[in-house]
Amino acid sequence: MGVISKLLGIVLVVGGGIMFFLGSSDQNMNIIYYFLGLTIMAMGFSLLTAGGKKEEKPNPPTVTEIACDNPECTFKEIRDFQKGDFILKSLETKCPKCQGSMTIQGVYMVREEEPVPTV
Amino acid sequence: MQGIGADSEFSWIINLAFFAFIIIFSLYGAKFQIWQWLKQIEAGLIELKKMALESRETAIETFKRYGKGDEEVAKELDRWLDYFTIMPVDLDPAGILKRLDHLLDERRDRFQEFVTDLAPEASQAELQTLENTLEVTQVLSLVFRIVRHYYILGKKTNSQLIIMQVQMQLPDILLLAKAYFDSLDAFSEGKPIGDGIGPLVVTRFAREYGATPDSYITEISREVGYYPVEVEGRTVYALRATGPGGTVGKPGLAVKTLVEQNKGRIARIITVDAALKLEGEELGRVSEGTGAAIGDLGPEKHAMEQAATENNIGIEAIVIKENEAAAVGVMDKKILDAVPEVIERIRTAILKRTKPGDKIILAGIGNTIGIGL
Repeated sequence: MGVISKLLGIVLVVGGGIMFFLGSSDQNMNIIYYFLGLTIMAMGFSLLTAGGKKEEKPNPPTVTEIACDNPECTFKEIRDFQKGDFILKSLETKCPKCQGSMTIQGVYMVREEEPVPTV
Repeated sequence: MQGIGADSEFSWIINLAFFAFIIIFSLYGAKFQIWQWLKQIEAGLIELKKMALESRETAIETFKRYGKGDEEVAKELDRWLDYFTIMPVDLDPAGILKRLDHLLDERRDRFQEFVTDLAPEASQAELQTLENTLEVTQVLSLVFRIVRHYYILGKKTNSQLIIMQVQMQLPDILLLAKAYFDSLDAFSEGKPIGDGIGPLVVTRFAREYGATPDSYITEISREVGYYPVEVEGRTVYALRATGPGGTVGKPGLAVKTLVEQNKGRIARIITVDAALKLEGEELGRVSEGTGAAIGDLGPEKHAMEQAATENNIGIEAIVIKENEAAAVGVMDKKILDAVPEVIERIRTAILKRTKPGDKIILAGIGNTIGIGL
């Protein structure tokens, strides 16, 4: 429905524009063409701009970043957030690489980048 | 007949339509615009109502986990959504901050009492988080009721002024409401929010210098404690609210107490907080300046400034730029990534502007939800 109404809107804007700018060969009918053209263009524009807001994207998932406490070990794991997770929480599970202790280093969301301003 | 399309056989129709158009729009143009504005406010109100109702549902679901039944929670919650705080009289401004502080303490007590009654099986950290959930639900309900009030009032009095103001402010109001609505996910699940970057930075900094959860000294003021750490020959009191429950505590009073306890020996106060970014600025950008970075209603900031001024202590601020949605929503990766830079700036400030043997207060301001000690 959205695409059809947009297409119809474009057709009406273009049609109305042609009527408005080209008018009629009959000098007396010109004014009627102007009015009609304007009305049709207005209808087209309202169809193009109508349709309400864009569908909202759901928030990205929250993830938990776990890292090994051993400064020489580079083990890092990112998994889905689980209730009870918090930043700097010491975990009971051991590092699969060096068997050291592990801590939650981050609980976060990666949101969509805001458009960069051109000025 | 002279006029538009004078020689046409349709000329009288065109003339009539033209004049009718002028007359209708000069007489009813404003009414048409008011009608349009009211329709726009109505659409916004539907959105606000949806957010208010859904947040109420989320609050009920969250409270239900801690020992009370569905109906009881809903009934009590509805009663609490109307809770208000009367700001102190400002005709006589002397002592207003003290009075405001007292009222805010009282308000906080009532909130804690209510949450404890409604969630008897919740732990201390969970109670703090539930308090945040309740506050968000209350804000959304209030925003909806205020906008609805002006909508109905504008309609009743046919006042263009009232309707126009609401319509013009509506995009901002909706943005704010959406930010709070999205934050419910964080508050109900205990996830860290963007505003918590201050306490996180302070804890990470303290841990780099050997602090542990056990070295945290609790309750120097309400829900605020500190880690004493040695940094390059200086003593740093790394102060933050107690987490991982959701609280900001009373950091201003904590700074004041520490200054009094170390009379004449505090050389610098460094505050770290999230600050609202300007549109176009990058999320997570780090900035620094002079003054107390704290966004309370007044008493906490005043306590900090007064302690610094009376004891001639330099006070500086390091802030992490965020928008409203990022500050109250789940912490963004970009904000988390700013932590190392902030720590580096703190280190530079300490080394450049203090000397060995000095004592420094490093205050991380913000909500500690989801941020452990």
